[in-house]
Formats: sequence, C-alpha cells, structure tokens
Amino acid sequence: MTTQSIFRRYQTTLTFGGSDYSLMATILIGFVLSLIVWGQTRDQFPFPTQISDRFYLAEGINQAESWLEIHIKGYTRAVSAAVGTVLEALEEFLWFKPWPIVILAITLPALAYGGLRLALFTLCGSMFWGFMQMWDPAMSTLALMVVSVAISVVLGIALGVASAQSDRFEAILRPVLDTMQTMPAFVYLIPAIFFFGASAPSAAMAVIIYAVPPAVRLTNLGIRQVPASTIEAARAFGSTRWQMLFKVQLPQAMPSIMLGVNQTIMMALGLAVLAVFIGAGGLGEEVWKAIRKLKVGWSLEAGLCIVFMAIIFDRVTLAMSKPASSGMAMANKTRTFRLLPQAWVHSKPAIWVEDGVELVWNSVAAAARLLVDAIALPVGAFLGVVHKGTAENLIEWMRNHRTFVTGATIILAVYLWDAWVSPIGSFPRAWHFTLRGPVDDAVDWLTVSPTFIGITKGIRAFIYLYVLNPLDKFLVGLPWFYVMAMMFLIVWRSAGLAFAVTTVAALTFTALSGLWAITMYTMASTIAAVVVCIMIGLPLGVAAAYNRPLDAILRPILDTMQTMPTFVYLIPALMFFGGNPVTAIIATVIYAVPPMIRMTTLGLRQLPPEINEVANAFGSTGLQSLIKVKLPMASPSIILGVNQAVVMALAMQVITPLVGGLGLGKEVFHAMNLANTGKGLVAGIGIVLLAIVLDRLTQAWTRNQRQALGL
Amino acid sequence: MSLLKKLTTPVAAAALAAAGIMAPLAPASAAGILTVPEADWTGGMVTCHIIQSILKDNLGYKFKLVTIPGGPAVFEGIRSGDFDFSCETWPSYNPIKSNYIKEWGGDESIVKLGDAGIIGVSNYYVPRYLVEGPDAKAPDLKTFQDLSKYNDLFKTLETGGKGRILGCPVAAWACDDQPRLDALGVDFVAVELGSETAHWAEMQAAFKRGEPFVAYAWEPHWIHAALDLVPLTLPAYDEAKWPATGWAEDVTFNMGNPEMLTKHADAAKVIANARLTNNQQASMILAIDVDGKDIDDVVDDWLAKNEAIWKAWLN
Repeated sequence: MTTQSIFRRYQTTLTFGGSDYSLMATILIGFVLSLIVWGQTRDQFPFPTQISDRFYLAEGINQAESWLEIHIKGYTRAVSAAVGTVLEALEEFLWFKPWPIVILAITLPALAYGGLRLALFTLCGSMFWGFMQMWDPAMSTLALMVVSVAISVVLGIALGVASAQSDRFEAILRPVLDTMQTMPAFVYLIPAIFFFGASAPSAAMAVIIYAVPPAVRLTNLGIRQVPASTIEAARAFGSTRWQMLFKVQLPQAMPSIMLGVNQTIMMALGLAVLAVFIGAGGLGEEVWKAIRKLKVGWSLEAGLCIVFMAIIFDRVTLAMSKPASSGMAMANKTRTFRLLPQAWVHSKPAIWVEDGVELVWNSVAAAARLLVDAIALPVGAFLGVVHKGTAENLIEWMRNHRTFVTGATIILAVYLWDAWVSPIGSFPRAWHFTLRGPVDDAVDWLTVSPTFIGITKGIRAFIYLYVLNPLDKFLVGLPWFYVMAMMFLIVWRSAGLAFAVTTVAALTFTALSGLWAITMYTMASTIAAVVVCIMIGLPLGVAAAYNRPLDAILRPILDTMQTMPTFVYLIPALMFFGGNPVTAIIATVIYAVPPMIRMTTLGLRQLPPEINEVANAFGSTGLQSLIKVKLPMASPSIILGVNQAVVMALAMQVITPLVGGLGLGKEVFHAMNLANTGKGLVAGIGIVLLAIVLDRLTQAWTRNQRQALGL
Repeated sequence: MSLLKKLTTPVAAAALAAAGIMAPLAPASAAGILTVPEADWTGGMVTCHIIQSILKDNLGYKFKLVTIPGGPAVFEGIRSGDFDFSCETWPSYNPIKSNYIKEWGGDESIVKLGDAGIIGVSNYYVPRYLVEGPDAKAPDLKTFQDLSKYNDLFKTLETGGKGRILGCPVAAWACDDQPRLDALGVDFVAVELGSETAHWAEMQAAFKRGEPFVAYAWEPHWIHAALDLVPLTLPAYDEAKWPATGWAEDVTFNMGNPEMLTKHADAAKVIANARLTNNQQASMILAIDVDGKDIDDVVDDWLAKNEAIWKAWLN
C-alpha cells in the first residue's frame, strides 16, 4: 500500500507542536496536484462517446415500461381505485362537515398533548386556511396527507419490523430506501399518470414512495435499540415471537416510531405541491396557478397555508411522542408559564396575566371533569342495569380519558348543532383577509430598487466568479479517469475500500450513460451551494449559539424556510437575481442552509460548560477559544450539518431547472417534457448515486471526527 | 374543487339522462360526464370553456375539470383515458405529439379532433423603450441581425462578454436558438431558463427596471398585455433554410382520446367544427386578465352575442 505509506510519512513529518496538520497537508497537496493535472490536460479527456453510445439502459427502460403498460395497468388501477375511494370519502367529509369540527379535531389534541401555547398556535394556523380563502384546497391537501401518511405509516412499520428481524433484509432494503428518498419525483410523476390515473390516488402513490423511508428506518432503529436484557427477560417468561413483538419490542420502540411518523408527515407535506403535476388539486394547485401568473403574494398565501399545516403536524406529533409531563410543573419550584414566554417568569405583570390564564385553565379543567361525570354517570347507571362490571369499567375509562371524552363531546355537539339547530355553513366571508397586496408591492419595490438590485448583482457576481465558475471549469475539465481515481482515494481513506469500489461503480454508471460532464457540473454546483451554505450557516449558527434572542428569532424563520414550498420563492428569486445558474444556487441555499445553522448551534450548545473554564484558564480570548477549542469540538455536529446540506442540495437539483439551473436535474426535466421515462430515470439514478456517495462520504467524516475527538 | 363537481355532476347527469329518456323529442345523445384538463393559461381556458359551454347547454354534457400543467401530463392523461379531450394544443411546445398522434407519426393513442382556430406566431422581442423614444438605447435595432451592433447592451457575466438572448425556455421545444444565431452571424449566446415561469419572470423584472433584453415569445400571450414589446424582423419561415429563418405559424388544435369518436361522437363533431380566431380570444382574455372578470361570465357573454358563429358548429 504505497499511498498509505505516503500518507503516514506526511503524518509524522507534518505534526508541529502537538497540532496535527496532516489532513490539511494532504488536502493541500491533493488540490495542488489536481490543479497541475487540470492545467496540463484541461478538457482533453472527456468520457469517450464510443463507449457510452453502446449503453442502452434508457431504451431498455422504455421497452420495459411499454411491456408493463400492457400487463400491469389493471392491477395498478385497482390499487388506485381503492385508495381513491377512501380519499374521496375523507375529502367529502372534510369539505361538507362544518369547518369548526375540523379545527377542533386538530386543536384539541394539540391542547391535550402540547398545552395552551401549542393549542393557540394550532388554532391560529388552521384558521389561517380559512382567512386566506383556501379552506377547500387546504382540506383536499389534508385528505391527501392523512390517507398517504396512514398508508405510509402502516407500510413503514411493517417493513421496519421485518428489517429489524433480519440483517439481510435490512441490507437489501437500505439502498432501496435511499433511492426512494433521493429519486426526483418528476421521474415517476408522468409515468404514474398512465398507471395510476391523473388524480389524487396517483399523488398519494408518489407521496408514499417519498415518505415511507423514515418510518421504516426509525421503526427498525427503535426495535433494534430495545435492550438485550429486556428481550432476555421476556424470553425467560416464555413469550412467543408475536407476543415479544407486540408486548415488548413495539411499545419500547414507540418514541422512535413516533419520530418516524413525524418525519414521514414532514416528507409527505414536502411533496404536497408536486401533486399538482398529476392533477391532484389542493394547495399545490393554488401555488401552481399563482406562479404561472407570477403572482408572488398569492403563491405566498398558499405556501404559508402549507407551512402552517407542516408546523402544526410537526409540533403536535412531537408533543404526542413525548411522555406526558403535566403534574411535574406543580412540583417544580419555579412556576411554569402556560401562555407567556418562560423567560418572563420573574416579571410581575406577566405573573398576573399567568394567574388569570391559570384560573381559566383550572375552571375549564373542572368543567371538563363535571361534563365527563355528567355523561359517564347516567350512561353508567343505564348500563349498570345490564351488567355492573362493564358499567364500572366504562365510567373508569371515561374518567381516565377525560380530554378525549370532552373533545369528542364538543365535536359531536358542534356537529349536532350544525345538523339540527342552525347550519354553520362555510368559513365566514367576513373573516377573509389577504396578504397579496402588500407582498406584491414589496416585491415590486425591491425589483426596481437600485440599491437592492446592486446588492443582488454583487452577490451573483461573487458566487459566479469565485465559487461556481471555478468549480465548474475545474471538475468538468479534469480527465475522467483522474476524477475517478481521486474519488476512489478520498472515499477509501474516509469510508473504507468497499464503499470506494461502489463509488467508482456509481461514477462509471453516469459515465456510461453519457452524463459524465453533466454529472461533474452537478457535483460542482452542489459543492458550490454547500460552500455558500457554510459561509452563511456557520457564522449564523455560531451567533445563535451565543445569543439566545437571535436563536429565538431564527427558529421560526428556519422552520418556514424548510417547509415553505420551494416554488413560492422561485419567483422572487428570479425577479431579484434573474434566471441563471447562480439563482439556482441561491434557491438551493435557501432550502439547504437551515440544517447547517441548526447543527452548528446545536454542536456548540452541547459542549460541556467546563470547556469555557479550561479555555479561560489558558488565558485565551473568546474568539480564540471558539476557533481553537469549541469549533473543533463541535465539528462532528457541524459536519453532520454539511451532510444534511449536501443531501438537500441534491434534492433541489430537480427544482432548480425552473430558474435556470443546469445539470442532472435539467436532464430529468428535459426527459419529462419528452415523456421519455428511460432518459429521466437514468438521469434520476445519476442524482441518486451522487447523493448516496456524497451522503456516505460526509457521514464517514462525521464518524471519523467523532472518533478522533474520542466521543 | 374537483370533488364538488365530481359529487354533484353524477346526480345531475343521471337526472339529465333520465329526462333524456323520458322526453322523446330530446336529441339522441351519449351525453355523460367528460373529464377535461383545465389549461394553465388564460387563452387555453377560454377556448375550452367556450366548447364546454356549448356541449353543456346543447348536448347535455357535464364536465369535471382537473388542473394540471400543460404538456406531457395532459397527453399521458388523454392516452390513459383519464381525460376525454383537451383544447388548444400548440404543436411547437409539445414535441411528444409525435409519440401519439397519427398526423405526426404517432401510434394513434390520441386523435386530433380538429383545429382550434388560434394561430400562434413566435418571434424574438425587445421592449419598446429600447428601440423607440428619445431615450432609446438601440434606435437602429430592427432586425434580428441588427443585434450584432448592440453586443454591449446585452452582454452579461455568465455569457462571457457576449450578448445574451433569452431563448426558448424549454429544450424540448426545439427552437434552435443557438443554431439560428450562428447561422445568421449574430455572435450572441442563447440561454434557456428551463421553464416558462422563469422566462416571463425574468422579462418582467428586466422590463420594470428598464433594462435591455431580447427574448423569445409568442402571440397571443398575456405577456404582451403586461409589457410593451416589439418583435424583431426575421427572414420568413422556410423549411429548407431552417434555422436561419423565423418560425412557421403554430396551428393549434384540439385533441382527445380515440373513444371520443365512438362514445361521444356528437361532442367530437362539435369540437371538430369549433374555431376561435385570435381576435375573438384576445377580447375575452383582456376582459378576464385585465378587467378581472370571471371567465364563465365572459364566455357566456360571448356566446350570447355570437350565436350565429357557434350555432354553425353544431351542424
């Protein structure tokens, strides 16, 4: 192993004063070497077309599709008919039942599991759909989400359980799940029309493909993390395999599974807008209609509806997956605020307000108790005539599930009121309001503002001249075999030989498909986007770690950035930056920077407080301790942020062609416009392979960094 | 929204069908529910709503409209039988027509029902402020070849100092912008923004800032109502000299699933006869997009005033 011995030699010679510069030196030498190779061989060695011309995968896929069209359409249509029936029934319910029922059905669980603050947020968020005059589309999206998330969760848990039982199954499933998550939906949206129809069931299928993986992964993880001693104990008591699963493993894995459900919901909502591409309607349709007419305000309204839906579901499912903490509040010495920010706990007026809130809270609780008794006791008495034991059990159950019983009663009451007393009708027109005017005005004003456009031009020039263009020229200009060799070395050093071989195989695939230059461009633009993410995310993340108010301001902004449908900010991005590959990078950064900021903040916050003392003892300044001690210590978390940014940047590849982005995403788009599934799938596989390689590579860096730090 | 219609139409259609059986004088018709993709541009919506209204009022059809982006999704939906027909397909912007439609060598899984009447014209446009008026920066820019004189006006960073022309936004449309530039000796770079939306957004933003730009566009299109644009002169279309010429006229058409011809022959006949001229459509687009009127009101109004025109389509 000559290369390894070279590495080792540098390791010994380049260690000065205790600091290890070998990694940096290796990178530097590799870079300089690559630069020399680039200078000498620039653009002389593109992948030979004589080889790639003999590769007929795309044609083969198209032939397979034609075969499938004849032979399996009957089955796929049966599936979509079944899904469609359920979906339509639910949509009908959501549309024709009075709107307060829907709001109560979402807000009451929020109140029960998350307390007053979450309930108020949920109430406002769900009312927002009505305020924006988007109640009906929101209900369509909600129905689509409920049905596809329900199917995803059932499927996901079943597959997760299966892969927890068998290592081999897990190993087979893993690349399949990776593919499902990173394969651009545009690849299968058009073929889905023929197989599943141009309507909501098709969209449900697409959503399920995208949303199942986290449920599978976290179920698998949860079950595998059940302590061996627990399993041993259960086995000692003679549990059968099924008992073990349902009585021990699944309950123990519940928090992890619930996190999987949460992730599944978020992924599903991420795809809600794309559903319009197969005619599924809903909020996506509003976004699409709006951006077709370049109406930023309108698309933002629809986008915010989706953002609220996503944040509500995120917070409520997270609250549900946490163990109940009520009652603990009283035992604590410091008072827990129900409504106002906890930070105001020492302010007198805040305490008065909270006293009032507490009073209302307790009265409502007492009223609920009374209500439950008022229902439970007569029902119990009535039932007691038939069977005394059942009656007692029922009363007991209703008292234990007071929130549920009260909620169900209220919803039933509203329903009966609507049906028998006075129809509630649709969301009151008088409550509608609109954000369109001010938003459109703001965008118009910024579009013509010379200062602002001057700034955007500066940013654009900087990214193009110093980040994108050099990377593009560099990676595309290098000989293909040299890139493969370098990737092999890098991956081998970071993630081991087996994966290095896989990497070369993946690169060979893209080369054979005739997509070598495009793949290199995609890699360049992905790296460029990630570099910009780091330039923005790292300082912001550090600032947020030191400054709590900034963190509090950033949090909702980051939530919005992550859940806002990307289509919504494409138009303003175009107006401000114009349509070009740099705008594509800017749109990618908006989408991919939140995890970078979050993971940096998290990494710094998680450091033990003693670090400060140690750093102070050595007399280092704040900045010194940050750069020399804290950032290196937090680096595993930061690299994980980079990892997330890489994967998200690749996911954006298929959206950015809409604003002038190039690369593999554009190939997918082009293929979609030609309804050429084979071509689209091949380019899609290219994105998937690139995502898997870069994901594993950055994950390996995190792991190595952890080991180096002895964590 | 689709569901409301979905739920109400079967009932209404059933009632209508029953009425049809009971009333001996009613015309024999295979009236039923037709599923139609709602176009995502106003012109296409107008063309289709006119046809739908006529079929609804005269032959007793009911419609379920599905919002879906135009292009391959519409073709695939018609082929699979999910959609019955669609209106105003532009040949230039749908290269995949050759997969399905006989006239373009397709497998006949989709049939061309008839011309829509709208004739599209493609060209390159510049904003009027660039070529006319006292502040015009390019007063002598008349023809496409004149662009060479104004390289500095149109150059950008990304095009390496060469002038930039906003070509066809979608590669699949095969506009041959770069070959045209090369063939006509204009040393510009054609960029393709990837989507129509991006194309119009960029034009609108540049227009608002009063910047110079030259971009591909076509008529009829709402962009001409929003921005004052002037076409550049190109050599007339000549298939032999392509791409060193302008474009052929785009003869738009209505298409449907082959079953339209057998199951709903009466409707197919009306669609085959229906023709809407550019001017007729333009007046309705103006009423909808500029005056903000409801499309159904505008269409009803037009039908009421132009009975002579559309009554002829019924025979």
